Amino acid sequence: MRTRSYMVGLAFMSPALVVLIGFFFLPVVLTAVFAFTNMSTSTGISGGSYVVTGNLLTALKENGVPVEIADALSKASFVVDPEGIAKARDAGTDPAFLAEIEQQLGGRTFTDERLFERELKTLQHRPRSIRDLKLAVDQFELSILNSRFTSESAARQAIATFLPSAPADTVDQIVEASYTGWTWTTANFKQLFSTSDTWRIVLNTVFYVAVTLSFTVFVGLFLAVTTFYLPAGAASAFSMLWLLPRITPIVLYAVMWKWFTWEGGFLYTAADALGLPAFNYMKGSVPTAWTIVIMVNGFIGAAFAMILFSSALKAIPVQQLWASEVDGASRWQQIRYIILPHLRWPILFVTSYQTLSLLSSYQEIWLTTNGGPGRTTTVWALESFNTALNSYTGNLQYGLGAAMALILVIVGVSLSIIYLRLFRFDELLGRPKIEF
Amino acid sequence: MQIVLKDFTKTFDGNTVIDRMNLTVEDGEMLALLGPSGCGKSTTLFAVCGIHRVNGGQILFGDRDVSNLPSQQRNVGVVFQNYALYPHMSVFENIAFPLTVRKDSKADVDRAVRDIAELTHISELLERRPGQLSGGQQQRVALARALVRKPDVLLLDEPLANLDAKLRLEMRSEIRRIQLETGITAILVTHDQVEAMSMCERIAIMKGGKIIQIDTPKDMYSNPRTSFVAGFLGNPPISFLKGRAEAGGFVLDDGSLRLPLPVASQIPDGTDLTVGIRPEHFGRAGDVPISGKVIFAETQGRENLYDVALPDGSVLRSVQPAQDDVRAGDSVSWKLESAAALVFAEDGRRL
Amino acid sequence: MTRNYSNWPIILVLLLISAPIIVMYAFLLVDTVTTSPPGSAIPNGFTLSHWRFLIDPTATGDVWGPTLTTILFTASIVLIVLGVSSTAGYALSRLNMPFRRFFLGGILVMHAFPLVTLIIGVFLVLQFVGLYNTLTGVVLVKAGLMLPFGIWIMKGFYDTVPWEIEMAGVQDGASRFTVWRRLILPQVRPGLFALALFAAIDAWGEYMLPRILAPSADFEVLSIYLNTVSDPDSTTYNFNLFKSVGLFYTLPILALYAIFRDRLMNIFGGGTKG
Repeated sequence: MRTRSYMVGLAFMSPALVVLIGFFFLPVVLTAVFAFTNMSTSTGISGGSYVVTGNLLTALKENGVPVEIADALSKASFVVDPEGIAKARDAGTDPAFLAEIEQQLGGRTFTDERLFERELKTLQHRPRSIRDLKLAVDQFELSILNSRFTSESAARQAIATFLPSAPADTVDQIVEASYTGWTWTTANFKQLFSTSDTWRIVLNTVFYVAVTLSFTVFVGLFLAVTTFYLPAGAASAFSMLWLLPRITPIVLYAVMWKWFTWEGGFLYTAADALGLPAFNYMKGSVPTAWTIVIMVNGFIGAAFAMILFSSALKAIPVQQLWASEVDGASRWQQIRYIILPHLRWPILFVTSYQTLSLLSSYQEIWLTTNGGPGRTTTVWALESFNTALNSYTGNLQYGLGAAMALILVIVGVSLSIIYLRLFRFDELLGRPKIEF
Repeated sequence: MQIVLKDFTKTFDGNTVIDRMNLTVEDGEMLALLGPSGCGKSTTLFAVCGIHRVNGGQILFGDRDVSNLPSQQRNVGVVFQNYALYPHMSVFENIAFPLTVRKDSKADVDRAVRDIAELTHISELLERRPGQLSGGQQQRVALARALVRKPDVLLLDEPLANLDAKLRLEMRSEIRRIQLETGITAILVTHDQVEAMSMCERIAIMKGGKIIQIDTPKDMYSNPRTSFVAGFLGNPPISFLKGRAEAGGFVLDDGSLRLPLPVASQIPDGTDLTVGIRPEHFGRAGDVPISGKVIFAETQGRENLYDVALPDGSVLRSVQPAQDDVRAGDSVSWKLESAAALVFAEDGRRL
Repeated sequence: MTRNYSNWPIILVLLLISAPIIVMYAFLLVDTVTTSPPGSAIPNGFTLSHWRFLIDPTATGDVWGPTLTTILFTASIVLIVLGVSSTAGYALSRLNMPFRRFFLGGILVMHAFPLVTLIIGVFLVLQFVGLYNTLTGVVLVKAGLMLPFGIWIMKGFYDTVPWEIEMAGVQDGASRFTVWRRLILPQVRPGLFALALFAAIDAWGEYMLPRILAPSADFEVLSIYLNTVSDPDSTTYNFNLFKSVGLFYTLPILALYAIFRDRLMNIFGGGTKG
């Protein structure tokens, strides 16, 4: 009986579940999984294959594979086996000639093409033209170099037929090294924890979040409190103005900042006219770059904070304010003792919420300084994004990027769960009153 | 249609709110579930209409066990305290809604709506929106909507609570009239004893999830089973005197008052007793004289209401035809009808 | 409020900290119809030539194609967000189901949780299901990322509808689906409208997802188009031209914002107030 009403609930929920599983749950799982791989553009995303390349052989020689084995792998050899015969038949070689080859040379292997050719020329039914002979020879050629094996066993078998004498551990080493797909590894995390770059980016991120957050909260507070005291017309003009950065499309917003701060832009022209140092403030120096990054993000955040603070201020009973004025409180005392205590929860909320979104935001930085000059304004999220999806070198390191993102995901989920507790969101969960 | 609750039990999160309650509402009867807030009367109503699930026992409509049926299959009409009219629909659409969801033909719907609108006296309001109606009119629409598909049972959840005093009086008789005309079995949930007494054939008085007493209003008033029932019914309310049994009568703790009580002859002397005296049984006529001081006097036009403090501090209430001779502060010597006194044991049981 | 204080000092300070916004937006408007001499920001002439891109595809390439794509993109996202949020929000607000607590907690975590972090995972998902480089893929992802917010907002709106309406509906014999569609949905229409506005503004401004998830697709939304125009290496590079395109792109949003400001304020703040 209960199941019937459960079915109704789940039916209403199902479209959301499908989308959320697809675009939240799966991405989180994939991020976690691929953080432990070396996946990149060169390995591809689906499974790889086994290829022995010239470069690989050179590398193998340096890593202790006997020179003669490596050299042998790089050469072609000629094996007279049923497969070769079949291939030659398909290529149109005279069946009589083939029968003779099978009979005389069946099972033999030649490492030298000329030797094999010479043997063939001794046969009775050999073709007249050199071209036909070459064609027949080609069909028996077996080469490991640059041929692609889709599975490990195929690669092993090929090496085994080629070098029956090679020791097993050498074969293992070659097969493993020849794999072009991605493999499991913890190297991403080792790399992250050992590079000094990591710590610089962490410091950048902490600095960025802390300063932008302070900017957001203080400007938001200032705006909310001042507009609260202003006449309605002026207050609404300022709040409309400050909402513009929040609704403007990010591309336009970013380019407006470029226009504002670049060479030939507003600040540049103004500073030039006043005889102040004029340069591309967004890219020209580290302090100006940071200032701009913080303002670009801070203006958006301040609008959000202002809305929340303003609506909290409107909830203050106006009698309290009148009473305090009657009691002789100055406006500053009124703010200090009545307004700020009312804003405690909204401030805490904005701080928590913005911490999370700043930690993971990179769009604004990407479209303005893009982490520059140098890498001075690069934050963790931007670095992770650039590593995985936006590398200029063309080799996107999905694995390493995923590892960086995974750390953010873990931090983000932990923080959100803490916030849920902090703001007692579970109290919002009322029981459905209709029980059927 | 007869409604039977058999050992009905309801729990919320492991707390048993109603434990094995039994109740029968006869066919065509209007029964009041009366009690203070939190007594479980609304929970019972919600279980009958299929909003709450039953955790134990059965609910029967006639012979049909509806315990596990959802509301949609119970054929119950409900009038909610705030009427729950659909604000985006006209009155006509509101009343027609139960019929349109079961896909009645347009002509049938139209006829049924107009018939019920005539019964509830709202024929001229059909084109309006609920927001344009007064409280009493909304109430009538809610009734019409509940009745239009001829339900087996009509449930009324505090239907008069949101009305002002004058409308409340009018709707009281209107609801009763409509119930009698349709002959429908009805349950009225209310915390107002006047409503319960004036509208219903029988009253089930509830406290703490239990039915204390089921009776006709008259019997319930004159013959309450516990001091709670006696205290809950009657306006102005009954007053209680605390004392003990002595020599076949009742004496106040300080011995200042003695009432002869027939029931007291079987009670051992010294037993603690509570005596309830309704205000109409204390006044200028009676058999036991009582002196005291008027501490509160109030005129209600036709009647006057007095609180009289006895020497030991207990207070008796009196209601008398309006006169202008006694004021607060006066000392009076009035009389009490001892035969009408209600005697309760210490635990509230009537003796 | 009593008028014991002069407002002018406050307004001056406010103007000062708002200066970057004022300057940027004022020049955004002015520069699209004026010319200014090199090395100066002060306009010295009126012109409509920056708007020639509207009729002349040689200026910046055809702008109407991307406009249509953006409208389609935005409309699909709004529809998906409204459809899915209005059912799921109802389920969370009103219906019995297993794991209800878990779902609501999950939605809240996702709501607070910054979604851009998942972009790498989303990229891989699209690769696997073959929606990489398609408009459908980007629409689904964008709508999906907005859902926790939308569901949360809609749940809040459903919570304000009296339970009695719902109870009256089931008493009247209607199924829960009918109750939802005919009785409850009309009550939350203002909420749906506000959510639609919000989703439209958000989708209209989206840049990153099409850029990353469909870098070489055969469609182009206005944000991408605008960014191409604004590329300093392009031959047609010109700030004023760019600003005109930008203003053209942003006008619908500004119009929506100007008309429906109050409803938007409600949702900007309301979505996070819980």
